Amino acid sequence: MSNAIAQRIADFLKDYEPFNFLAYDDLVKIAITVRVHNLEKNKTLFQINDALHDSFYVVSSGIVNLMVVSDADEMLLNKCHTGDIFGLRPFFAKNNYQMTAKAKDDCIVYAIPIATFKPYVSQNQEVLDFLLESFATNSKNQADKQAKGLLSDTVAFNENQSDMLYFQTLSYNRNPLKVSATTTIRDVAQLMTDNLLDSALITDQACPIGIVTDKDFRAKVATGRIPVLSLIPTLMNAPVITVTENISVAEAQLVMLKHGVTHLCVTLDGTDKSEVKGIISEHDLVVAQANNPGVLLKEIKKSNSAKELKIVRDKLYEIIQSSLNRTIPLTHINSIAGEITLAIVKRAVELAILDLGSPPARYAWLCIGSQGRKEQLLLTDQDSILIFEDVPADKYRNTKDYFIRLAKKATGTLEKVGYKMCSQNHMASNMLWCKSLTDWVKQYNNWMNTPGEKSNEISSVFFDYEMAIGEQKLEDALTDVIFKNAKNNVLFFDYLGNDALRKPPALTFFKKFNVEEEGTFKGKFDIKNRGILPLVDAARLLVISNSIKGINSTYHRYKHLAIIDPKHAEIYVNCAEAFLELSKFRTLEGLKNDDDGQYIDLEEMSKVDKEKLKHALQPMRELEELIKDNYQLTQFS
Amino acid sequence: MLDWLKNINKDYPEFWKDYLSKFDKKSNRYVAFSLETTGLNPRKDVVLSIGAIGIINDQVIVGDVFEIAIPQYKYLHDNGLNHDFGMESLQPKLAEPAAIENFIKFIDNAVLVGHRTYFDVEMLNELLEKLGCGRLRNEALDIEIMYKKLHDISDKNFALDELAAHYKLPTTEHVSTTDDAYNIALMFLKLKSKLGLR
Repeated sequence: MSNAIAQRIADFLKDYEPFNFLAYDDLVKIAITVRVHNLEKNKTLFQINDALHDSFYVVSSGIVNLMVVSDADEMLLNKCHTGDIFGLRPFFAKNNYQMTAKAKDDCIVYAIPIATFKPYVSQNQEVLDFLLESFATNSKNQADKQAKGLLSDTVAFNENQSDMLYFQTLSYNRNPLKVSATTTIRDVAQLMTDNLLDSALITDQACPIGIVTDKDFRAKVATGRIPVLSLIPTLMNAPVITVTENISVAEAQLVMLKHGVTHLCVTLDGTDKSEVKGIISEHDLVVAQANNPGVLLKEIKKSNSAKELKIVRDKLYEIIQSSLNRTIPLTHINSIAGEITLAIVKRAVELAILDLGSPPARYAWLCIGSQGRKEQLLLTDQDSILIFEDVPADKYRNTKDYFIRLAKKATGTLEKVGYKMCSQNHMASNMLWCKSLTDWVKQYNNWMNTPGEKSNEISSVFFDYEMAIGEQKLEDALTDVIFKNAKNNVLFFDYLGNDALRKPPALTFFKKFNVEEEGTFKGKFDIKNRGILPLVDAARLLVISNSIKGINSTYHRYKHLAIIDPKHAEIYVNCAEAFLELSKFRTLEGLKNDDDGQYIDLEEMSKVDKEKLKHALQPMRELEELIKDNYQLTQFS
Repeated sequence: MLDWLKNINKDYPEFWKDYLSKFDKKSNRYVAFSLETTGLNPRKDVVLSIGAIGIINDQVIVGDVFEIAIPQYKYLHDNGLNHDFGMESLQPKLAEPAAIENFIKFIDNAVLVGHRTYFDVEMLNELLEKLGCGRLRNEALDIEIMYKKLHDISDKNFALDELAAHYKLPTTEHVSTTDDAYNIALMFLKLKSKLGLR
């Protein structure tokens, strides 16, 4: 009997691994045995220690979260999107489920009975391989995720991934610089410099008798205490702290702390009476913790494609998530994420340059908006401008043409990494925002001296910028123009002030949240426009009017304002804290929903969180009064 | 009670007797179904196709599908309609009596689920009467009514497409009654859990 629904499901399956390895007729046969589950949001399909089901699952729509529970804390292992398979355990193992599958939102999943699918697995090597890989692969491994399309796994982790890494053996320099006791200090220094090493071991018949590090040269030689031509034993530290091979990260760290040293010598049997095998530096420990910002920066520098950059960005996402979970201060997370994002932008531009050849003039690529303030934790849209130095009129067209092409390539790369194009087209690839320094100076003069006039309304995002790559002088020139114009520019502050206060109020007269009244986000709270942006805009206004240069992040701006204006310090400090709190709410919401977190679902919040949120919205009112008092907001209101 | 007594005396077709005998037990199976008819008058209009799919334990059983097209040559001819539909349909075709008989066998004592089910049941009853059978005994649920109840709306009606769009269900290009039945089944599961029915 024909079966329209089975065909419909087969049509769906044939686009996804491993089903694409099978013939269509087989898929129809499989589809006939499928059972369709509807999962309400937060409904659990199976959980840890449940007896195995007789089928595995394919997500048809919605997202299913796979997680493990440790210490009453749910840890997300993987998100299964449309077409992902999960719950493969019954294929390979007999014991109970090792993880929980829970619907993230309303989902429809197909349950494919193991019994019907098994014959196809045994007949088809590719299918088997795919299932095995899916089953075994560590879901945290972003690179594999990339390579294989979509993976979901059934492997259990009892420990947090980063904790596991912590107990892994670490890799270290297995070819340390070894010198004999008869070498002079100067020669050793030269050798270390040539080999780009920060330490050298002094050995006697392959056994370590002492160690010198950069610090020793600074503390003892450069200060003149030991002449540079004396023999190395006068400088070295002895005895050397030695450890065995295959030491774990945790152990190495403990040994270092215990002895107060920065380098450990690895020997054959762990004593200083055996052969030297290598040297562990503090840096190796840092590197060993793989999802480490420093390592990510290095990886960015090595990346050669948007794809590789995307992997790094995905790792950053994990860092942000785990940092938030560990309640690391948001300012730290912000600055780390800011640096990494900046590095990604820089690399994207570099890649474009590699493609197009070297630029015909000096330039500066500035990130503006949230990235300019280093407050971009989520994948929000990209904003950027490009300034190039003035060139003779006859070369102008070619130069501009080059930079626009460059910008188009770079923004294209960034889009692939996951940064959406700016909806208002505030990007260097736009003709308007890619111009020479003179033109930019004119532009800013226009904006600041005649705000609100002419059709080109200024967008305040242009006043927060951070250079990603290029010539520092160009950025400085721009900053000078802004602060020169800002002096006693009542009209401009009037404009900015109104811009900051024009945002819709967050709370109603009755201290209820002002939620969206219509549209897709009906009933949700727009934390970006009603909570965060007013604070950001106000901070910018205050900073420019007080001629504070070089402080870009909103938090630090308020902190700084509190110092220079002690009379209102309390308000500023409150604003700084409120800003962090709001950003945190937004980030958590964004991470939860994989979006930019602009809208918060109040219904999902606990009462405590709601109060916290309300509390964080209070300081803005006081600040509003302060701004109204200080600036004459008449012209534009 | 008295109805049941009357039934005993009547000479029903075999399949109907079978059908009636199954109602001793309560079923845990639901059948989502959809009819395609030529119009809205149970007396004059005819059924063109039936699609239905079974639901057990909150799972749509893809193997448990019923689909039939009834080429109503006579009706279409009498009313001057073309019968391209009947010819083009991919569903298996059967004459009306056989189609109804199979459908009755398919639904058993399951709870019927449909969209504007009342009309569909009326339509089926009309057909059954022609075959000398009684009225359908199955419990019947209507997803439109469930939806209205969930959202506490009483003054508005919702077409099947609107409901499907609300639940963001995939819609295929050529919609057959089987596809409709499948969508009804999925929506039924959603509504069922949202309303907290057991």
